[in-house]
Amino acid sequence: MKMRLEDATSYTAKCFNGEPASCSYACPFRLDLRTFMDRAARGKWSSAYKTLSNAVVFPSLVAALCPQPCRNHCQRTQIGDEALMIRDLESACIRFAKNKKPVKYAIPPKTKSVAVVGAGPAGLSFALNLSRKRYLVTVFEKTGGWGGALREHEKFPEFDQEFTLLFSAVETDFQFNREIKSLEELSGFDAVYIATGRGGETFGLKDTLDDKSMATGKPGVFMGGAVCDMPLMESIALGTQLSQSVEVFLETGKLTELDRDADRIKCERYLRHDGEEKKPVVVPGLPDGYTEGEAMSEASRCFQCDCDYCEKSCEMLKSFKKKPHRIAVEVFTDMQGSTLSSRTLTREAYSCNICGHCKSVCPEAVDIGALLQYSRAERLSAGKDIPAFHDYWLREMDYAVTKGAYASAAKEKTSAKYAEAKLAPAGFAEAKFAFFPGCQLGAYRPEHVVKSYEYLADKYDAGLVLTCCGAPAYWAGDMDRFQKNIDQILKQWNELGKPVFVFACATCETLFQAYMPEIKRISLYELMAKDDALQPVQGYENAAIFDPCNARDDPEMQTSVRKLAEKAGTDLTELPEKNRCCGYGGQIRLANPSLYEEITKNRSEASDKPYIVYCANCREVFASREKPVTHILDMVFGLEPLTGVQTLQEKRNNSLEVKRILMKKLSGEEFQPEPNPWDSLSLVVSDDVQKEMDHFLISAGDVKETVFAAESSGEKFVDEKSGTSLACLIKPVLTYWVQYRMLDPRTFEILSAYYHRMRFIEDDE
Amino acid sequence: MNDNRGSWKCLKCNEKLAKKKTVFTYLGHNFSHEVMTCPTCGKVFIPKDLAMGKMAQVEEQLEDK
Repeated sequence: MKMRLEDATSYTAKCFNGEPASCSYACPFRLDLRTFMDRAARGKWSSAYKTLSNAVVFPSLVAALCPQPCRNHCQRTQIGDEALMIRDLESACIRFAKNKKPVKYAIPPKTKSVAVVGAGPAGLSFALNLSRKRYLVTVFEKTGGWGGALREHEKFPEFDQEFTLLFSAVETDFQFNREIKSLEELSGFDAVYIATGRGGETFGLKDTLDDKSMATGKPGVFMGGAVCDMPLMESIALGTQLSQSVEVFLETGKLTELDRDADRIKCERYLRHDGEEKKPVVVPGLPDGYTEGEAMSEASRCFQCDCDYCEKSCEMLKSFKKKPHRIAVEVFTDMQGSTLSSRTLTREAYSCNICGHCKSVCPEAVDIGALLQYSRAERLSAGKDIPAFHDYWLREMDYAVTKGAYASAAKEKTSAKYAEAKLAPAGFAEAKFAFFPGCQLGAYRPEHVVKSYEYLADKYDAGLVLTCCGAPAYWAGDMDRFQKNIDQILKQWNELGKPVFVFACATCETLFQAYMPEIKRISLYELMAKDDALQPVQGYENAAIFDPCNARDDPEMQTSVRKLAEKAGTDLTELPEKNRCCGYGGQIRLANPSLYEEITKNRSEASDKPYIVYCANCREVFASREKPVTHILDMVFGLEPLTGVQTLQEKRNNSLEVKRILMKKLSGEEFQPEPNPWDSLSLVVSDDVQKEMDHFLISAGDVKETVFAAESSGEKFVDEKSGTSLACLIKPVLTYWVQYRMLDPRTFEILSAYYHRMRFIEDDE
Repeated sequence: MNDNRGSWKCLKCNEKLAKKKTVFTYLGHNFSHEVMTCPTCGKVFIPKDLAMGKMAQVEEQLEDK
């Protein structure tokens, strides 16, 4: 089904990045206080005044009389500071702004006429707004001047001056000393606004007032302000809103519901402001208010509250500088048009670790990773993916779910020893178990899988399932392949009698939780931590625990690993941030090598202590950076930590070794994988070439296959001078090249191996 | 390997390589470039510096489209 815009934007619907801050939501005028404070802090008084006067209509009046609901929602108070002195800053702005000249709008005059009854603040605000749109506005006031109840206020001369200034820019007709006794007198007007003030004339219409549209029962007659018991600021703010809806009425005859309190609740939406420095309120040195410097310094206390938690703490979001809403729109736009149309989000989509960190820091739990995984899936199904980004891991997965796969029930049914030994965790007393080690643990260290299985078989009569959980397909967005793998796993699970799966990898467990919730799960580390008889061996005296991203929602797994490490006597340090992705997640390495480098470096340097990990991928990342690291299973089984990273071929051989040992153990069969014709070739590879092959994820198998194809067909290039050959092998996604020297008919020295993603079209005519 | 490109030849045809305009394709885009090929069988020769340099650059640009 074709993607709709809302399919993408629904992922970020709750994100409030870019929305007004809490203070603005509390303001009856929705004054953009962030912009106002930013301009004030820089001493840009005229532009700050513009922001202020555009929103509040009568700046002097508001600066003098607003009860400042905004201050109750100023997030300075979140860290124990006093709220910003907003009204004092508004007053300062009015004093320091050099340009307060009202703007004249170059719009054509309208022919519709509007009568306003009452020249108090409500009527004036409405009249000013509609006059600016050049409607023919006449204000009828029974007294001799404007201002209504404000005429009694000590600052009225100031307000009076402001009214004069503002109305000098428009053509409002003021009829003072003209009391309207009946609406009949106004029958020539297209609309009427009754704003007669507290206890003022309502022309018998008050009971007919609809407080959503502020329309009365008499068509074209509206009412608002203190006559409707509205507070002063709300009455002025209504003038702006109502002028817009009366304009709609004048042009279309339709009434609009004014959602005056919509979003007000968002004034409670606060950020955490962790680590922000406290700053005391700036007290004016002079009785008549702030000096310019004082005002700038007070305004600079504004946090400029706008949520950027995800962007601030994610290297990927930081590097691309795109906001969540924009990412969602680009997820959609990238799927429009032909394959040749320009796409804008491809690199980002494939640069995300899909680690859930953004979701965990977001106040609204918005998950950009889920959005980008969705984008990958949509791209793949539309043929708009970049196959080279994930080809390597998909081929590894194919291998793990075919040649490397194996499943078996426990060898022999003994009594439920674990129940007697009181090992079974709560809720699992009668359970059958099967170990699901995942594909990476054995690839890195076969003993971990073999010994863990022996442990589980001994204590829990556990069966075994060797295969891949499907993470590479999930990360590639290949949901068909992922679903096929799920179906296969579910089939095996049913055949084994629906055992509880014991996981050693948090990624497997997380995917099972989401996609195979019917399979009951427990972590290997939880079972081991509950076993009093088990005594892990101290690897490092002092170490930091590096929790994998996918263990974020599994506190039991996290606690169990800590228990095991503490039992070993390790002095544990907690990292400043837990469950950050080591860099491996989402398989971004080929899509964005420099970002991968940055992330893995940052994680390695999160502590100067050696790491204890419980994810084979985390271990590989840190080992590749020469960070001292041990897997918790090294400690459980008393093994020396491995240094360095296994070559791709070693990993593949290790996986087969696990299968060979456990198959023999469980079913007595000798595992003899069908050999490839090139398997028997021997390669001589220098450390430098090996490093480069591993960096570009070129396996020895790929190299052997390339050499084998050239040697058997004779199709290759030769350089007689150096005595070397160059062979080419075109695979579905990559084209491999190997330069080599034959040492004997089955042994080849590899001088370099490389590939390209583009294809050439050979013209053999 | 860029040091002795001139001395490579196609083993099957026993021919020295010559420059030829060749069509490349990636992610639905086609473009042509002169590369060394066997003048007889047309087999294309891509040295490492080309694959890891210019070609990788173009690939990256097209991936970002």
